[in-house]
Amino acid sequence: MSGAIGGFALGIVIAGLALSTFLTRGSFLIAGARLRLHPRVESALRYAPVCTLAAIIAPNVLLDGGAHLDVSLMNPRLIGVLGAGLWLCWSRNMVGCLASGMLAFTLARVYLAGHLP
Amino acid sequence: MSTERARDRRAAFRAGQRTILLALPGSAAWALISGVAMVKGGLTVPWALAMTLSVYGASAQLAALPLIVAGAPLWVIIATGFITNLRFVIYSAAIRPYFAHESVAKRAGLSFFMTDFAFTFFMRAVQENRLPERHRDAWFAGMAANNWITWQTCACIGVIGASYIPIDWGLEFTGTLALVALAGPALNSRPALAGGVIAAAVALVAHGLPYKLGLFCGALAGIAAAMLADRTPRDTEAVA
Repeated sequence: MSGAIGGFALGIVIAGLALSTFLTRGSFLIAGARLRLHPRVESALRYAPVCTLAAIIAPNVLLDGGAHLDVSLMNPRLIGVLGAGLWLCWSRNMVGCLASGMLAFTLARVYLAGHLP
Repeated sequence: MSTERARDRRAAFRAGQRTILLALPGSAAWALISGVAMVKGGLTVPWALAMTLSVYGASAQLAALPLIVAGAPLWVIIATGFITNLRFVIYSAAIRPYFAHESVAKRAGLSFFMTDFAFTFFMRAVQENRLPERHRDAWFAGMAANNWITWQTCACIGVIGASYIPIDWGLEFTGTLALVALAGPALNSRPALAGGVIAAAVALVAHGLPYKLGLFCGALAGIAAAMLADRTPRDTEAVA
């Protein structure tokens, strides 16, 4: 831990992260009409939520930390997402989605722990 | 007259609060886990609290954490956080038309609270025509207030109670599941499906890029794919 950043430098890092978060969130909102976008691009932005979320979720689920792609049923996170997805097919309730996803994930992990060499 | 306006604004605020209510457990679980992760990752409790309260952006915080612990150069850490945050530029552009008439101060205020959750719920309300015609700022504020209070309470509990909360039995996976619960209902049209699939594929392929650039590349590619898929059916409708 001797290399870890602390004290004043850590304060600078946190201030920098706070500023970058605020400025990116504020970019277009604060600039207002001064930044222009093509109308077609502007209308495609309603797909921004689903695209960004997919880009966050996929590596979390299918990559095991590094670059190893695991799209098999031996991947408990994939089983968990499938469980959550099944729930979402008939309800939007987020608690149920988390519960069924965690249940599928945990069952898969327990099963795999008992069946792996 | 002004009391009527105040009443309308309160009603919009409360409608905003209600709209995110069912998602708050997901937000709470994710906040708790990121709070725990901050401390288990090597930050002291005061610094972890300062970071949570001032940054209010879990993905940038978690991306910066291993670099802080490894003692990376300051500009590398801040650049990594910035690039992780680039998706917010897309959010900002998407949400801008709805607040164009508000003052700069108010738009800056809204910016601070525009998390993945707040943005996704805002866009969902737009799509379902549930967004009020007037007092959208109050509606957004109600939603953001509930989300902020839940997030900060649970993140602080996570930071302070980190040594008592077992993160090893996969609890951190609830964060991913909360995002799945946000994304699932939005996969309701052909362009959304095309965008989601392409975004996921590009994010996977580009995962090795430095500074977490893969996420932003995936999001951009997904939006471009959705834009292309969106045009095709409308053209055929026009012909028919």
